[in-house]
This record gives sequence, C-alpha cells and structure tokens, in this order.
Amino acid sequence: MSLLNVDAVHTMIGHYHILEGVSVMVDEGSIVALLGRNGAGKTTTLKTILGIHPASSGSVEFDGVDITGYATFDIAAKGIGYVPEERIIFHDLTVEENLRIAERTKGDLESKEEFLFGLFPDLKRLIKLPGTSLSGGQQQMLAVARALVPDNRLLLIDEPSEGLAPVLIEQMMEAIKKLSSRTTVVLVEQNFIVASRLAERYVIIEEGQSVKDGAMVDLVNDEEIIRRYLGAA
Amino acid sequence: MNTQTGTVSGWLRQNRTRAAFLAVLIVFFAAALGGIRRQDLLLTIMQGLSVGAITFLVASGLSLIFGLMDVLNLAHGELFMLGAYIGWTVYTRFDTVVDILVPLLLLAAPFVLMPLWRGIAYRIPRRRLSGSIALIVGLVAAIVSFTRFPLVIWNATGFANTPAALSAQVGTGLLKPFPAGSFGWAAPVAFIAMAIAGSLLALSSALLSNRQGASKHPNPSRYASAGLLVAVAVVLTMYKTPINDWVFGLSTSWRFLIAVVISVGVGALLGAAIEVVLIRPLYSRPIYQLMLTLGLGFILVELVGDIWGKPQFTMARPALFAGTGPDCPGQGFGGFFSGCSTVEIFGGTLRVYNEGFVVLVGIVVLVAVSLLLKRTRIGMIIRAGVQDPHMVQALGVNVRRVFTLVFALGTGLAALGGVLAAPSIGLDTGMGAVFLLGAIVALAVGGLTSFSGAAAGALLVGLLQQIIIRFGQNGITLPFMSEPFKPTPTLIPAAAILLMVVVLLVLPNGLFGRSEQ
Repeated sequence: MSLLNVDAVHTMIGHYHILEGVSVMVDEGSIVALLGRNGAGKTTTLKTILGIHPASSGSVEFDGVDITGYATFDIAAKGIGYVPEERIIFHDLTVEENLRIAERTKGDLESKEEFLFGLFPDLKRLIKLPGTSLSGGQQQMLAVARALVPDNRLLLIDEPSEGLAPVLIEQMMEAIKKLSSRTTVVLVEQNFIVASRLAERYVIIEEGQSVKDGAMVDLVNDEEIIRRYLGAA
Repeated sequence: MNTQTGTVSGWLRQNRTRAAFLAVLIVFFAAALGGIRRQDLLLTIMQGLSVGAITFLVASGLSLIFGLMDVLNLAHGELFMLGAYIGWTVYTRFDTVVDILVPLLLLAAPFVLMPLWRGIAYRIPRRRLSGSIALIVGLVAAIVSFTRFPLVIWNATGFANTPAALSAQVGTGLLKPFPAGSFGWAAPVAFIAMAIAGSLLALSSALLSNRQGASKHPNPSRYASAGLLVAVAVVLTMYKTPINDWVFGLSTSWRFLIAVVISVGVGALLGAAIEVVLIRPLYSRPIYQLMLTLGLGFILVELVGDIWGKPQFTMARPALFAGTGPDCPGQGFGGFFSGCSTVEIFGGTLRVYNEGFVVLVGIVVLVAVSLLLKRTRIGMIIRAGVQDPHMVQALGVNVRRVFTLVFALGTGLAALGGVLAAPSIGLDTGMGAVFLLGAIVALAVGGLTSFSGAAAGALLVGLLQQIIIRFGQNGITLPFMSEPFKPTPTLIPAAAILLMVVVLLVLPNGLFGRSEQ
C-alpha cells in the first residue's frame, strides 16, 4: 500500500482553477520528484496535500486515512513535514527555537540532534543566532532540519536547490539522500539534474494535470519526453 | 546581512536615522521637563508614567492581537471601559454579580458538553435551517427566563441608588447588600428553563459550525465540569445572603483584588468569545473585521451607558491606598509602604495608588508578558506567528487556538487596565475611546508589532499628556508672546496625533518596528 495517494485532485485558488486532475502515488521509503514547467502546479500540489489550498474535488489519502478537507495543522500533525519554496525561517526566533517550534512532543529535538547536526554541521555552530543572521544556504538547511525534528513519515520539499551555490547544492543533495533513509520524500525540483540524481520515481505535471509518471531511470534516457514537458534538459 | 547586528556599533550603523531621531526626541522631552518647576517635576513624570502604564495595558493587547492576527480591534478601548465597569460592580455591588452569575452559569454549563451537541447535530438534517431555529428559540428562551431571575441592581437614574452614590458609601460602612430577591416556588422552573435555553444555544452553535461530530460521548470529566457549574449556581442561589454578607464584610483591599480577578477573567472570556464568534469567520475579509469591531465598540458604549447610567462616577480607592492619619502623608520612598494615601518625595506629593501602584502593575505586566513571549513555547509560537501564521500551521500547530488565546490575553489586559484606571481616573463611557486613541498613537510611535515598542510609545504618550497638563496650569513663556501660553487639555489628543505624525514621517515603521520586508 502506498503511503500517500493523491487521486484526481482539483484545486481552486480564488477563481483560478489551478489543479485540474493531479494524481500522485508515493510508496513508503521512496523519493518521488514532481517535474514540470514554471506555473504547472507543482507547488500547488504540495500545498493541496497539506491542506493549505484544500482540494475542491478528488481525494488525498495519507497512510490509509482520507485527509481531504482536514485543517493544515491536523494534516501536518499526522506526520507530514513541509519545506516551502520560500524557506520561511522565523526571523525573531533563534536557530534553536526555529527547530524547537516544530517539536510535537517535548524532547523531539534532543533525540534528533545528532542526526540533524550530522546532516548539517553548520547549524550546530549557529544554534544561538537569530534567524535573520542566516545566509540563504543556511536558511535552507534550517528549513529542512526543522521538518525533520518531529517523527515525520513524509517530507514535502519544494525547490531545495533554488538559489544555492553549486557547492551547497551538492551538500543539500547529500543531505536529502541521507534523510531519505528515514522518511519518504516528495520533491519539487526545477533543476532536472538534481531531481534525476535524487528521485527514484517522477510525476510530470503540465498545466495542472499529472500527465506522465514512471521510474526515473526510464525518464533519463527518454529525451523526447524531457524535451516535450521539461524544455531542454 | 551579517552577524554584526548584535553589537551596538552595528546597530548604530544600520539605524542612523533612528538613533538621531531618538536623540532629538529625548532632547525635546528633556527640554519640556526642564521647563517645569522643580517641585512639580517628579509628579509630572510619575503621572506620565501612570497614564503611560494604563495606556500600555490597552496598547499591549492591541499590539499582540494586531501582530499575530492582523486584526485592528477597534472595540479594544470599549473592553478596557467594560473592565472598569465590571470591576466597579464587583467592588461596590457584589450582590448584583452573584445574582447575574447564576443564570450565566446555567447558560454556560451546556456548552461544556460540546461533543454531545456535535454528536446530536450530526443526526439532524438541514443543519443551517435547524441551527438558525435553535438559535432564535434559544435566545428568546434565555431572555425570557433571564427576566424571571431575581436581580438586585442599582437604579442608574434614581438618586439615592446611583452608582455615584453607592461609590461614596464604600469604606464608610454604610454600604450594605440590597435586600436579596428570591424566586419563591418558581426557582426550579427558572433553572430548568435557563439550562434548556443554554442547551439550545449550544446545539445551534454545533449545527452552524462546520465541524463534523467526531466523538458522540463526552468524557466523564466534561459531565463533571458541567455538573459543577450547575452546582455552583444552586449554591449561590441558596446561600446568597451569607455570601453577600461575607464579601461586604471584607476589607476593600480584598474586594479590590476580587474585582481585578473577575474583571480580567470576564474581559478574557469576552475576548475569546468575540474572536470565535465574530472575528474568526472574517479572517479573509479584514475590512469587515474592522467595521465589525468598530460597531461592537459603539454597541458596548450604549449598553454600558444604559446599565450603569451615563454620567461619570468614581470608584473608591481600596483601603490599602486610602490611609489617613497623623503620620500621613508618608515621607520618602518608604512612604509608599506606610499605608498612607499620599507620599511626599522631593517636595512633591504623589498618590500611592495612582503614581505608585498603577505604575508598578504596568511594569509587572510588561515583564510578565515579555517573559511569556521570550521563555515559553506559546510565546515562541506567537513570535513565529507574527511573521507567518501559515508556516506555523504547517508545522502542526493549531494556530486558531493560539489566536483565540492571544485575543483573550489582549482583552484581559485591557480589562485589567480598566479596573486599575477606575479608582484613579473614574468611570466614564467615553474612557475607552480616549485610551484607544492613546494606545493607537503609542503603537504607531513604538512600531506596530513590537511589544517593547508599545511600552515605549505608551510612556511617551503618557508623558506628553502630563507635560501639557502641567504647562496648562503654570503657563509657558514663549519668546514671541507677551503672556505665558497655557495649553488647554483639549490639546492633548492633538499633541498625541502630532507626535505620531512626526514619528511616522521620519520613521515609517515607528521607533522600534521592523520594516515589513
């Protein structure tokens, strides 16, 4: 049974019909990449899973429970972590507080500390600093680490490589690979090279519809599809 | 941005305008204070602090609510006013409170059993229609049965029993409970009717809200709490006279403490109810929220005027701060603890309640709320929520509940300000509007969402007001005028607005606010 099952979801934002039938199946333990051009609806898909933009029809099932229409905090508390595209680090909070706020039970942070600082050694040094003083790369690391503090079974990561220097992209990919041994990951990624090296499966979203999915190894060799849906690779 | 932001020189480098402007402001206020006679100086500053403390209690809640929810609660001043009136009632007429409490407890008890009503609502078809019917029938039943409860109340329009006359009797030993009214044989009927009205209202709220009935059997502790509420109502009715006699026999200091606690509690509960029922459905329509809170303020003013009577009256100071005797006024700082109503320091006379106690409470609240924000998990969530409530939500935190809590905290603080202000500035249905204006100026000056900014802004507003009053008494010699200029108190709001305009022109985000980006 799949961990996450998004079935023929339609989503409206105001009067705009953004998603017009997106289906995504994610098996436990895998990394799935949502691919597609800018504005195709990848980010909206993540936000629909999380109930930030609730689905107007179709259903989202997580771990066998139909969570369509649940409040965002309820969905997140079921074990879904979210790393938004804009990262959204809390400026008024220290790095430690930024992690602490994601705790669902007291002591979550202490039990994960070793793992988190193993992934992102920089954070340990920055732990007492305010969120404002972090660089873009450090903010991204903090945003990912924050999503790992509670026992999340699924991580939704939006554009982890965006705006990062090549060295940092390498580091981020390394971290995502490592953390995927613990949680299932759904990834939105513009950078096809990053996506293809991380994900085992892909779903292509085009104008609000999921048009193609399959194993990443097959996609990498299919230049026709890459050119058609993703532009020049 | 680099890590140097923490150092003073780093701050100065990044905030040149701010630092320069702060310096100008300090020089201005120092010059204004310098023009005041020596013996009045301390009094002016302390009175400024006192008004500042009360303004801060209004401004702090306004700031928390605006910061977290982007709701400018224009009814905030009226909740401050209501705090004063409720405080006065508990302090002066506890028997009325007991009488009102009984039907309210009966009305509230069914709401404790909310899961039960959700379960029942789940089986009722046409939720919207049946919910509206239950609401109307419930309201009518509540009002009708409320009029059947014996309620002893002052006569706001008569002479001997006006609030002002009652205030004058406090502390003289003349103040007695009104003869207690009683139901006679109708008590069980009125009780049951009120409980049924409460049940209908609870059911209607379950029908009209969108939440589906999850559990149909409330856990036993809820039944126990509902039972407790009913039991308290019964006990209050049966032992009304001894309870009233006991409270009226207490010293006014104890009664003042009870007044503060009840007033803050009612303010907080009312705030929570306003947030859940009125504000929550309108988060996507901020203009409607603004209009709603404005209208709510007007309603509260008229309602209070109707119940307590329009003309202003005073609230007697509690015994702890009303001492007189051969040793009074107290001398020096130790005089604050001498039990006298006034104290002489540096040749000036200060009132222990106004310039001592009120300022102290203001400082305590400032420290307590700062600690709450800095040291607790809920404070952390509030600070994060000020920046982005949706992200906090996405971390699995029920932000809606935090909204309600913060709204209750804010209105509770406003009510605290009201009950504290009553013995020092008296009660007046217009007091809410005056302090709301002061609080809004304080927020704009200090920086809309900065809590410490609200404190600094309130302080400036209070000082400015007292300086103007002082100059109004003594006059100020201006170089181009032959006679000393005596500003009238009507200039106070104008001066406060002027201060706000000047600050906002130079620093659009206020003295301590952070820019939106």
